Amino acid sequence: MSALANLLNSPGASLEAAGDWDAVNQLVRDKGWSDGLPVVPPTAERVEAMLGYCDRPWDKPVGAIPPRYGEATPLRLAANAVMAGCRPEYFPVIVATIEAMCEEKFNLYGIQATTHPVAPLLIVNGPIAKELGINAGHNALGPGVQANATIGRAIRLALVNVGGAIPGSGDMSTFGSPAKYTYCVAENEERNPWEPLHVELGFAREASTVTVIGAETPHNVNDHESLSGEGLLRMIAGTIGETGANDIYYEGQPLVIFGPEHAEQVAADGYSKADVKKYFYENGRFPLGRLSHENIERRMRVKFPERFAKAGLDALVPLAQRPEDFLVIVLGGAGKHSAFVPTFGATRAVTRALKRSDGSLAGSINDLRRR
Amino acid sequence: MAELRRRGLVTAVICSDPFLKLGQNQARTFGVPDLPLLMIKHPLGGISLEDVKARADQVIPKFVDVIRERMK
Repeated sequence: MSALANLLNSPGASLEAAGDWDAVNQLVRDKGWSDGLPVVPPTAERVEAMLGYCDRPWDKPVGAIPPRYGEATPLRLAANAVMAGCRPEYFPVIVATIEAMCEEKFNLYGIQATTHPVAPLLIVNGPIAKELGINAGHNALGPGVQANATIGRAIRLALVNVGGAIPGSGDMSTFGSPAKYTYCVAENEERNPWEPLHVELGFAREASTVTVIGAETPHNVNDHESLSGEGLLRMIAGTIGETGANDIYYEGQPLVIFGPEHAEQVAADGYSKADVKKYFYENGRFPLGRLSHENIERRMRVKFPERFAKAGLDALVPLAQRPEDFLVIVLGGAGKHSAFVPTFGATRAVTRALKRSDGSLAGSINDLRRR
Repeated sequence: MAELRRRGLVTAVICSDPFLKLGQNQARTFGVPDLPLLMIKHPLGGISLEDVKARADQVIPKFVDVIRERMK
């Protein structure tokens, strides 16, 4: 008997379906277990293969996913990863992401149930990102690569099937977001003139990490004309300093995605990452008067009395409460583009390193195979 | 709120119409399926203070009923 068979014998752990792709997908649709797209049938064999990359107990929850607070056991996560179309070697990234999202400061309950169009954005760093083939280059946020397409989808399916993020009864997003299908990239570390995200956050360069951000979709910044770092930063700051983002009301960590060519130019003009964040904090602002009179009086003056109680309409509103709250990564291929990614606001990014069960860093995905 | 209910306090959640299912699901999740959900007209955000007071007027009698029921 396989290691999985015992677990599947417990009540409610498995069900029978006709051995036919259409029948399985009809069942999944009827049960509401999908994101609307067809799924790969999670047979015992496929789920067990997925769990071949999990060296911890398969029935011990790594977290509880709100709003249902379903127990996220590796077994359940593996079934969702199979359904999403993941290769087994992607599984450690999925488990680490769920663990990260269940940290209190991420505010997963808020992110799941809010009316805001927020989705978890996964940024993978370190050697395992490359080993798994996670796209960091052209179209990294778009379609074309299995790892990006299916890792993010596995997270969404777990949020729905384990967490109960059912539209209209658990996920109350007013209109949702295309990022709720998948939202997963690797940072383009090779084209990053600064330290990559995980190193900036205190992890060893050889560590492999996943950082999860409660994020909106990106807003592009097209700048083919600026010839200086200052010019580029000014253009990006102009996009940051817009009304409407949750980040003006809370203590979020909005993300700036530099295209490699923009990053290279800014760094060549002597800006460190800290300098860039300071610039965005000071210049990615808009005058208070661009908000409605009602918004100013009912919210800004009340919520930020020290800053805005008596402020004039020309007082500037920042998009983060501190310079260091801006997150900065480098992503993508050729082209003169960068992007601004506002967040849910009431959330903090969480980073997890991929580790073996003894706590040591995984140097390769094969270190995380079950032995 | 679920914890307060378990401790025996009079409890209720005020909820606007579209959030009824979420409220019911949460009450079940937290083990208090009988938690009263007192409905008000949606929305609650983006309305005048006058309209907020109207929502309160709508729901106060319902909450009084919850208290009376408890005192029986």
